[in-house]
Amino acid sequence: MPDDAATTTVSGDAAEGALAYLTEMSPDLRGAAILGGDGAVLAASGDATRWREDAATLLDVADRGGEPVEQVHIGTEQGEVFALRHAGLAAVAVTDRFALASLTFFDMRAVLRDLANGKPHPTLTPPEGGKSRKRNRKVGRDGP
Amino acid sequence: MAPKPHRVLLDRVSGYADEAAAYMRRRRVSRRPFARLYYAGGKAEDHATDSATGGELFVAAGKLIEVAGKKS
Repeated sequence: MPDDAATTTVSGDAAEGALAYLTEMSPDLRGAAILGGDGAVLAASGDATRWREDAATLLDVADRGGEPVEQVHIGTEQGEVFALRHAGLAAVAVTDRFALASLTFFDMRAVLRDLANGKPHPTLTPPEGGKSRKRNRKVGRDGP
Repeated sequence: MAPKPHRVLLDRVSGYADEAAAYMRRRRVSRRPFARLYYAGGKAEDHATDSATGGELFVAAGKLIEVAGKKS
């Protein structure tokens, strides 16, 4: 379950907007899902049922230590998995390897906080010919 | 007294070899899989790949990576 103190009611549209914002903000992101207080998927990039099941499994395993976990960060050869609980919601994200963990968690937390407060997310997509505001985080790889 | 020329060459080669070994060591450490859990009080736990919880976390993470697929 995402959070014991889950009292937030979030619409699917708002969650979809938040997910789109998160995807635009994070160039390393491969996919993500936002879960409600009851573990239901509010928005997901792809198969929502699989996201719900696999995210629930991950959080259940992580919670076995006794107290509910707040953040999960797992790095594998295939990619990295981030999970975060905040304000009665949860976000799970999968990124490429060597994504900047603190920035990814910061973005996820900001998205969940705004979602819980009912704050809409602006789109970062620039007008045609305009400059992209997307951050470049590919440090030491093919970044500038 | 100036060192013999072959000593200079040997020192330089072993210097490069040391640098390369250190680079490979750092690369190996940074490529090692990890599973970290963070709790509300600031507590953090690191789970090894061969531990029971660590193994289950890696399996769950693998499934999520599969769901997310490759970046389009």
